Amino acid sequence: MLGYALRRLFGLVPVLFVVVALAFVANRLTPGDPVLMMLGTRAGDEALAANLRHQYGLDRPLWQQFVAYVGGVLRGDFGLSYRFVGTPVVEVIKDGLAVSPILAIAALALAIPLGVAVGTFAALRRNSWIDLGLIVVLVAGISVPNFAMAAFLVYLVSLKLGWLPVAGWGTLRHAVLPVLLLAIPPSAYLARLARTYMLEVLQQDYVRTARAKGLRPRLVIYRHALRNTVVPLLTTIGILFGGLLSGTFVVETIFNLPGLGSLAIQAIFARDYPVTLAIVVLFTVFYAGINLAVDLVYGWVDPRIRLGRREA
Amino acid sequence: MGDRPGFDVVRRFRRSRNAVLGGTIVSAVVLVALFARFLAPYSVEDTDLLAVWGPPSLAHPLGTDNLGRDTLSRLIVGAQVSLLIALSVLAITLTVGVTFGMLAGYRGGLVDAAVMRVVDVIFAFPELIFAVLLATVLGTGTRTVVAALAVVWWPGIARLTRSLVLSLRTALFIDAAVTSGTPRRTIMLRHLLPNVVAPIITRASIGVGFLVTAEATLSFLGIGVQEPTPSWGGMIRDGLSALRTEPQLALFASLALGITIIGFNLLGDGLRDLLDPRARDR
Repeated sequence: MLGYALRRLFGLVPVLFVVVALAFVANRLTPGDPVLMMLGTRAGDEALAANLRHQYGLDRPLWQQFVAYVGGVLRGDFGLSYRFVGTPVVEVIKDGLAVSPILAIAALALAIPLGVAVGTFAALRRNSWIDLGLIVVLVAGISVPNFAMAAFLVYLVSLKLGWLPVAGWGTLRHAVLPVLLLAIPPSAYLARLARTYMLEVLQQDYVRTARAKGLRPRLVIYRHALRNTVVPLLTTIGILFGGLLSGTFVVETIFNLPGLGSLAIQAIFARDYPVTLAIVVLFTVFYAGINLAVDLVYGWVDPRIRLGRREA
Repeated sequence: MGDRPGFDVVRRFRRSRNAVLGGTIVSAVVLVALFARFLAPYSVEDTDLLAVWGPPSLAHPLGTDNLGRDTLSRLIVGAQVSLLIALSVLAITLTVGVTFGMLAGYRGGLVDAAVMRVVDVIFAFPELIFAVLLATVLGTGTRTVVAALAVVWWPGIARLTRSLVLSLRTALFIDAAVTSGTPRRTIMLRHLLPNVVAPIITRASIGVGFLVTAEATLSFLGIGVQEPTPSWGGMIRDGLSALRTEPQLALFASLALGITIIGFNLLGDGLRDLLDPRARDR
């Protein structure tokens, strides 16, 4: 198990190195001279230009810049922002770090129980009108992008009913709608999978045995069926988390939240490339980390899976 | 599940009914997109500053936007813009994905390893993030959307092609072609391609719904289709910022996008069931 974990961890190194290298190359390929942009109205001030060029390391050969960038990223330093001259990128994105991951994790924490509950509910009423209706709702929940749902949800909940604030950040009430919107697609996805798995599990011999020995139907579900429904769902959490990270871009834009997603978009328009690329690298690292964690947890939760051991 | 045959019929009926519903929605959107220029009652770029944020009326059935442009016309042309982007991406990804997938599957060795490592790197990015990376380099716009979606989309096609080619490589007719001295290029184009192309095209078309969603998302974020070209994502963004006073734009544009996407997904699910009977219960 430990050997497998280490091997997976080392396997990530080349991929993440390429991601960081791509970020560096992307930064070089961006049009325009960053120093010229930073000079703004003081263009022509040669001394200042040389100074900035030196401060940003742009006077060094490309390979030195690359080594410095990779070394910096390893220490959690993403260089200096172009937009806020002289400010480290980390300072610019620091506040966002406390928003996006929290949104994504809260949405996942909401989606897992909600999805399993709805899926189980539908499975136990298989082919009833409630089940058929739920399936259509779930298709909509999985596929309709959350910014399209946002219009209806915000209109109804915030504007017509006045229950929650329209936008902003700071209190728990501000987080309700963003988390809810983020949680809808993964909840619907998990519910559909949970329904399928539950239907499969309910056909198993051990469920029939449990029923035959007179165990109360509720206990059959809770103690026998649910456990084997939830474990396979865990594998999808990595993919769902990737979707949630992208979802934070959308939700932060809708509600004007100071997260990494909206910072990245603002940075694209402000041509503050180091900030955008830092966020791209961070999101990719989160994503890789979660996927690794899910694989490891999966092997631990389900002892039938022997990670990293070759079958004879 | 053959234990309750009666329910099986119910389920099949429901499945096909959903697929029919999806197919109807998709055909309607495609027709609207094809004849957009005839169907749109107004020009999508004509502003009318005297009719800003007009409510739905006889002249403008879905109202007007912040520049007095007709919402219905912009939604109709937006369908065309959206589908054109999705089709361009599909064409590029099919060409690139099938080429590299076949090379990887048939040549094996170094070619295979190289292609699959590139695929791994692209899969290492969470959805959308690669598009953001590309938008920093290329700037915002339709070109960026097509490039970004193509880059993110072709690895899936390449993987599928590779696995199909691998399963065919040991087939008798390939052995026969090799033995009779057929050049490698001819084997790939004449013998392998016709056998993999049908399942790939069908599987890829199932993804059109996702492409439409992805384009709308990028345009919503402002890094996709730019003004004055109408796009559903961009319209929803304009509408959301005025939701408090003028909700009609956001609501109508969201409705158009939502219904279209549901249509594509219902049709996609139906097609998947048709192609892959084992997954029918999923």
